[in-house]
Amino acid sequence: MSAVTARPRNRILPVVKLHFANPWTTITFPWIVMLTILVLTILVWMLILANIADPVDQAKTREGFGYSGSSGFIFVYMIVVAVQSINTMFPFAQGYGVTRRNFALGTGLYFVLLSAFYSVGLTLLSIIEDATGGWGVGGSLFSVAYFGDTPPERLFVFFAIFILFFFAGSAIAAIYLRWKAFGITTFFIALAFLLVGLVALVTFVEGWDEVGAWFARTGLVGSFAWSLVISALAALGGYAVLRRTTPKN
Amino acid sequence: MTAVVEVDGLTRKFGSLAAVNDATFRVEQNQIYGLLGRNGAGKTTLMQLLTGQQFASEGSIRVFGENPVENAQVLQNTCFIKESQKYPEDFQPRHVFKSAAWFFPNWDADFAAELATEFRVPLKRKMKKLSRGQVSAVGVIVGLASRAPLTFFDEPYLGLDAVARQLFYDRLLEDFGEHPRSIILSTHLIDEVSNLLEHVLVIDDGRIIIDAPADDLRGSATNVVGPAAAVEKFVAARTVLHRDGIGGLASVTVAALTPAEVSTARSAGLELSPVSLQQLIIRMTTEKEMEQSA
Repeated sequence: MSAVTARPRNRILPVVKLHFANPWTTITFPWIVMLTILVLTILVWMLILANIADPVDQAKTREGFGYSGSSGFIFVYMIVVAVQSINTMFPFAQGYGVTRRNFALGTGLYFVLLSAFYSVGLTLLSIIEDATGGWGVGGSLFSVAYFGDTPPERLFVFFAIFILFFFAGSAIAAIYLRWKAFGITTFFIALAFLLVGLVALVTFVEGWDEVGAWFARTGLVGSFAWSLVISALAALGGYAVLRRTTPKN
Repeated sequence: MTAVVEVDGLTRKFGSLAAVNDATFRVEQNQIYGLLGRNGAGKTTLMQLLTGQQFASEGSIRVFGENPVENAQVLQNTCFIKESQKYPEDFQPRHVFKSAAWFFPNWDADFAAELATEFRVPLKRKMKKLSRGQVSAVGVIVGLASRAPLTFFDEPYLGLDAVARQLFYDRLLEDFGEHPRSIILSTHLIDEVSNLLEHVLVIDDGRIIIDAPADDLRGSATNVVGPAAAVEKFVAARTVLHRDGIGGLASVTVAALTPAEVSTARSAGLELSPVSLQQLIIRMTTEKEMEQSA
């Protein structure tokens, strides 16, 4: 007969490979869009500058180029990647006889690798951006102030944002997989109550100055370091939900 | 014989509905089992329970001697591609076959490639864009080429044309001959697979109502056809499984006859014909309801 394999083979790395099996969705396509956005944004900047004759106005305009949010695309896109990696990959991996535990570990590792890959990529672009004086027109897509002042800071901030988006996105996808629309609705209503409650609480105790002071004290990198705690909670929560989930049709 | 699956008093409830109700059976090693039953009878739930995808409410499941839930050692020896299997976003058949090799220790890539040609599966088209039959073919190919010691085929033929279905049956038998393994095949097309099956499990309303070798079942009933009066006289003392009649003619299904009984029937001018597995199962799963509604 077909030999029964007695010793458990490592199933975590195959799960990572499974997520990378078709690199189009997770690597090729996002970079094509990101670079297209970059080129188009630079062209728009150049067009604007070409139409301003007065040097003083030009300088003011260049200042405005320092706050472009276009690079946000890649973060939002990774939420989609996170959702798909649970929504369709989990039922598929179950058919391949992967345990939920191995699936969760492999998927977590995949998220970490992808976060590292993209944060290195964005940091490299930010270094090029700095070196070319903002692509020759003083624009900022990747070295925007809220990503940090130095490349190492940015690397960390990018990484933390990716990690948060991947694990939060996958936890929400797990809720959907298990409880469908009812679960998602319940979750977001509960989340809304929690956030409104927190805002009310801070307002009630007149603690906004305190909150502002905390962020100032903790700093950009420190604040993003705290987001890793939220990501870890999302990861554990997502696994807890998945542990009792049966793939449905 | 060795059992690869042992199920005892297994129940799975969804609210008040028992999708699987107090099931007890064994699956012997290296045999082809048919898991037969009507839509919603509990076939898929039962297979999900055996592969640790679903959780038992009561009773016990042993697969290769262990509880399958979250058991990597057991699950790496199973393959269960559902009829409605979801495939990852943007996957093409070639991604499915490439990745299968990482999960099934006995995966045969050459065999998979050969099958893909035979089933005419386009390797470089998105799964989403394949026809229903082509998607089913991908599942069939994974099931066959995985050579998992315990393989499940859940209504694998959906959308497959007659030629492709025959191809599936032929390849299954051929490969089973060279690489014996335990196969559980759930299907509606009972007559088509009748010759393939060595053992039959029929599930109805969550309960296992038949658990018997296919050969025993095939010879277990006979149709007696003839003038109504003569037929009724002949079957009077027997358990009647089914009764049909048109005008003065009657057709009655009874349990298997001894050679002596066969000659008695023949001399009374009655015609005897074997009952196909499909007919027998239809009789056994519908008679109950008729009794209940009567």
